[in-house]
Amino acid sequence: MPEDGLKRRAEEVLGRPLDRVRLVTDTTQFMGLSRGDVLELQGKRYLITGVAYEGRFGLDEEPKHWVKRALDLEDGGRKLIKLVFYEQFDLPIGHLKVRCYRSPRKEARILELVRGRPEFMQGFTLLDAVGNEVRILDRVPGQSLDRVLDAQRIDHQTYFQTRLRDLLTKFMGCLEAISFLHAHGERHGDIRRDHIFEHSGHGGWVWIDFDYNFELAESPFGLDLFGLGNVLCYLVGRGIPTLQDLKRHRPEVLDRLDSGDLSLVIPNRVFNLRKLYPYLPEELNRVLMHFSASAPIFYERVAEMTADLGPVLALLP
Amino acid sequence: MILWNRILVGVDDGEASLGAVRYLAAVLGGSNTSKVRLLAVYKPPDPDLEPDPAALAAQAAERRLALEARLAEAYHILVEARLAQENLSTDLVETQGRSIGETIMAEQAAGGYGTVVVGRRGMTKAEEFLFGSVSSNVVHQATDCCVWVVA
Repeated sequence: MPEDGLKRRAEEVLGRPLDRVRLVTDTTQFMGLSRGDVLELQGKRYLITGVAYEGRFGLDEEPKHWVKRALDLEDGGRKLIKLVFYEQFDLPIGHLKVRCYRSPRKEARILELVRGRPEFMQGFTLLDAVGNEVRILDRVPGQSLDRVLDAQRIDHQTYFQTRLRDLLTKFMGCLEAISFLHAHGERHGDIRRDHIFEHSGHGGWVWIDFDYNFELAESPFGLDLFGLGNVLCYLVGRGIPTLQDLKRHRPEVLDRLDSGDLSLVIPNRVFNLRKLYPYLPEELNRVLMHFSASAPIFYERVAEMTADLGPVLALLP
Repeated sequence: MILWNRILVGVDDGEASLGAVRYLAAVLGGSNTSKVRLLAVYKPPDPDLEPDPAALAAQAAERRLALEARLAEAYHILVEARLAQENLSTDLVETQGRSIGETIMAEQAAGGYGTVVVGRRGMTKAEEFLFGSVSSNVVHQATDCCVWVVA
C-alpha cells in the first residue's frame, strides 16, 4: 500500500484525521512507538492508537509502554499489542521475595494452548522483521473482578445470601481453567483478582496476562495456588480483611483471632473468615484455611481445591 | 530387590546436603557394608527466563560445574571417613522436566536403593508452600524405602 493509501486507510479505521503515519517493521525500540505508527507484522498491519495502562487493582495506573492499543487495519478490530520486553525483578510476597521474569515466549505459547477457550484472553503471535514475538490480543470487553465486586454496594450478609453462590460458580470455572494450564505444564504466573475479567458479552470470567514466569523447580504451581487462595478469600470476604481494617472498623473481633487465622504468606490478612462472618459454611471456611498459617497441609494441585470447593456450592443460599 | 545398604544421597549446591553427607560419614565411617551413590540433579536453566542463548549456555555450564564440584567435595568427605572407594560412586543426572525430588526418587526406584539421604534447608512453612521443598517431595513420594532427612 503506498504511503498516502496507508494514511487514508488508517484514518478511515480510526475515524479521525492523523497528523502523520509511519510504517514500522522492527518493534525492538517499543518506547518510541506511538499513535500514528502502523506496525507491519507478517503482512498484517495495525495502527497504534495509544499505550495501555495498568495499576494493581485499579490504583495508580501507569503506562505499560510495551503494550499498545491498536486497530487492525484490515477489519478495524480493537487489539492490544504486546511487544517484546524482557525484565526481571524481585517480586515481594509478604516477607518473601521471588525472582520474577517477564517472558513473551511463555505468553505466546499459552495463547496457542488456550485458543478457542473462552475462559482465557485470546490472541496470537506474529513476528516482526527482526524476529520479535509480538502478541496480538483481543481486548476483553468488561471489567476486572475487583471493579465488579467494588460495585456491589450491599452488606456482607446480603452479599453472602444473594451473590456468593453465583460468584463461586464462576470461580470454579476459573479454577478449572488454571487446572487446564497446569495439566499442560504451564502456569498462569500472575494470579490476581484484577487479572480476571468479567466478559460483558457472555458474562463469563476470563483470565488475562500470562507473561510472568518464575524458576520454581519443586513446586511449579505453588505461586498459582497462592494466588487462587487470595482470589477465593477476596470473593468470600468481598475483599480480604486485614488486621488494620478490622482494628479500624470491627475492633471487637480482634480478640477472637489468633495467628493461625491469618494468611500463611501475608500475615496481616485474615483467612479464617468464619470468625468474622459466622454464617459462612464450615466446609467453605475449611478451603480457605488451607491457605492459613495453621494449615497442616497445603493444596498442591488445583484439582484438590476444586474437589473441596465444588460440594460447597450446594450449601450456599 | 530393595536393599537397605544401597544408599542414595542427594547432593546439591546448598550447605544442607553437605550436612547430610557428613552425617552419613559419621554413621558409616570405616564400614564397608554399604554402597553409596552420590547423586546431583541438574536442572537446566529455563529458556523462558533467559532469552540470550549464550547467557543460557553460560548459566547451564555454571550450574553443572557447581554440582560437579559439590559431588567431588561430598565424595572426599566419605573417603576421609574411610568408606571404601569401591563402594562409592558419583553421578549427575538431568531433571528432564521433573522436579528434583521426583528425579531423586526415580533414581531410587530404578537403582533399588533402600535408603535415601537428603538434607533439609531451613525453609519456613510459607516458603515451602510457595516454592516447594526437595526433602518434602522425597518423603511424600517414598513408598518402599527409608528416607533420612538431615536437618
